[in-house]
Amino acid sequence: MSRKISIDPITRLEGHGKIEIFLDDAGAVEDCYFQIPELRGFERFVVGRPIEELPRLVTRICGVCPASHHMASAKAVDNCFGGEVAPLAVKLRRMYYNAHYIHSHIAHFYALAAPDFVLGPDADPAIRNVLGVVAKVGLEIGGAVIASRSKAQEIQRIIGGRSTQDIWCIPGGVAKGLKPEELDQIRPMVADLLEFTQFSLQLFRDVVLANPTYLDIIAHGPYTLDVHNMGLVDENDAPDFYDGQVRVVDFEGKELHRYDPKDYADYVAEHVEPWTYLKFPYLKQRGWKGFREGIDTSIYCATPLARLNVAERMATPKAQEAFEEMFATIGGHPSRLLLAQHWARLVEMVQNAETLQLYCDDPDITGDQFRVIPQRVTGEGIGIVEAMRGTLTHHYTCDANGICTSANLIVGTTNNNAPIQMVTKKVAGALIKPGTEPDQGILNMVEMAFRAFDPCYSCATHSMPGQMPLRVRVRRGGEVTHEFRRGC
Amino acid sequence: MSSAAAVDRGRPEVAPLPARPAPPRTLLLGMGNPILCDDGIGIELARRIGARLGDADGLVVQAECTVGGLNLLELVAGFDRLIVVDSIMTAGGRPGDWYRFDGTSVRDTMNLSNVHDANFATAMELGRRMGMHIPHAADIHIFAVEVRENLTFGERLSPELEDAVPDLCGEMLGEIAELLATKDLSRPASEVPAKEAGTWRRER
Repeated sequence: MSRKISIDPITRLEGHGKIEIFLDDAGAVEDCYFQIPELRGFERFVVGRPIEELPRLVTRICGVCPASHHMASAKAVDNCFGGEVAPLAVKLRRMYYNAHYIHSHIAHFYALAAPDFVLGPDADPAIRNVLGVVAKVGLEIGGAVIASRSKAQEIQRIIGGRSTQDIWCIPGGVAKGLKPEELDQIRPMVADLLEFTQFSLQLFRDVVLANPTYLDIIAHGPYTLDVHNMGLVDENDAPDFYDGQVRVVDFEGKELHRYDPKDYADYVAEHVEPWTYLKFPYLKQRGWKGFREGIDTSIYCATPLARLNVAERMATPKAQEAFEEMFATIGGHPSRLLLAQHWARLVEMVQNAETLQLYCDDPDITGDQFRVIPQRVTGEGIGIVEAMRGTLTHHYTCDANGICTSANLIVGTTNNNAPIQMVTKKVAGALIKPGTEPDQGILNMVEMAFRAFDPCYSCATHSMPGQMPLRVRVRRGGEVTHEFRRGC
Repeated sequence: MSSAAAVDRGRPEVAPLPARPAPPRTLLLGMGNPILCDDGIGIELARRIGARLGDADGLVVQAECTVGGLNLLELVAGFDRLIVVDSIMTAGGRPGDWYRFDGTSVRDTMNLSNVHDANFATAMELGRRMGMHIPHAADIHIFAVEVRENLTFGERLSPELEDAVPDLCGEMLGEIAELLATKDLSRPASEVPAKEAGTWRRER
């Protein structure tokens, strides 16, 4: 039977973000919960499979950062086979990941962050998107954004054979090397991307820093948290997105921990709350102390800003300049200003583009020794990379035949689950006061808090509308007094 | 070869046949996640439909597509028509029912994308404004199957969907073949009267 009907909205209810704000009798915020139903079962799903299959499977966990899962999984699998990886493969993996970082940060900055700052947080939701940004800054810039993103993806495709659904990393190395003619294709694109990172920084200066209202929101709004910072650093304490040691510093800059990825379980534990599927990682040696800020809290952020907070410097010169400018402008290093995440992403983009350029000039990069054949099964492997939105850990065990017996994943956004809860409540509390009627503007200001974390709860890449479907309910005495929906 | 050259060789000069218009370039995409139970229904159907129609003029089949937003824009650029086979979940929907709608409906529904990126409609519109060759909204055809389970990892469809696959394939195949036989593409979306835009549901 066929008939014409109207389905509005067409969406998947499971994909909704839900914020429940509870008001007291006076109308002030008493409590606030940000809930996302999380996907279940991946760790169970992979048990019984050949361990070398996992780097290919995990790219299907999520279409947003498949390369991050691919890399973390590959490193964990390398370690299940003894940990030896061809040095050339490490360079190529890093190149690939640099390109991935660039296009992911471009997407976040221009599609998600820029609307707030180019159009204003209180702009009409109908135009507060990348189209509105392009309408304001011009088609030429819009074209440059699309072209730059495409180039970064093309670099990934050239190096790894694909830019999504990666199958390139294999135990001990990679499945293909980089040919000289492929390097010739990449070089000019890398030069363009480096230029684009500088352009993006200038756009940030012109549009955001030149606007006192935006600066005021960044520096003096409720978007701050006194929690600690986590990120991978290299031997010089510069950010390292692919490897290194995990460093944790408090919000005053004091180092709390520094550990090798294989020791992560000694430093990170996960707290469970009954009202959400998503766990709350915390610093294990401090114990779970609840959702509270302060120098003795056990909660940490793992974000672009956190990565720059744990770093003492950047690894490349232009990125170093951008790093110094950023922290000088926002009041010093480390910083608690969560909206500075967007600037931090641009600084990271610069390091990634400069690093790509260094690899392009590496005389060994087109070599053919891009894999070592694993000779033994050790039975356990841990791989940590910095996913764009936080420290990503894959931990596998396998039997003597290389069959997976267990898997544990702590993904980027999960690290930030507690801070996202806390800042959502903080911003709601600052904006909803007795006598203040909540409205759509407040919805966006609250959303800006968690959007700064670039949260990723998706798995089927298309299962959520592009703007996170969001429902905000304000309750008073158990009754829903206000409800706002966007995209659902 | 020039006409002078043909005459020189003693062959009569023949007026060239009018060039046959190239068929519209159509991209058939199966969208979903193959390890998320019913979320893989679009991929399964696109594989089957693509196998039957794969040699149709101008048709390119990408049966497994797990990207959205700006990534999707890059895939679609250069095509005149887009056919998407996907899964969907609606309040109160019955698994196995399927819907057909075009890009003019997606403008409002904003599905088919991810949280980190631009949504489907926005990405397509951005491409058009940037001067990329993107199908008009009326030439984007979406076939979406109502699913039961898309949050649990698994490589198999739920039983009712597995049973429905042959019928779904047959029904969609007919409509997609009909679309491919249509060489004249739709009017620009801006010229499509609002009453023609909408969603059709096939109940099982």
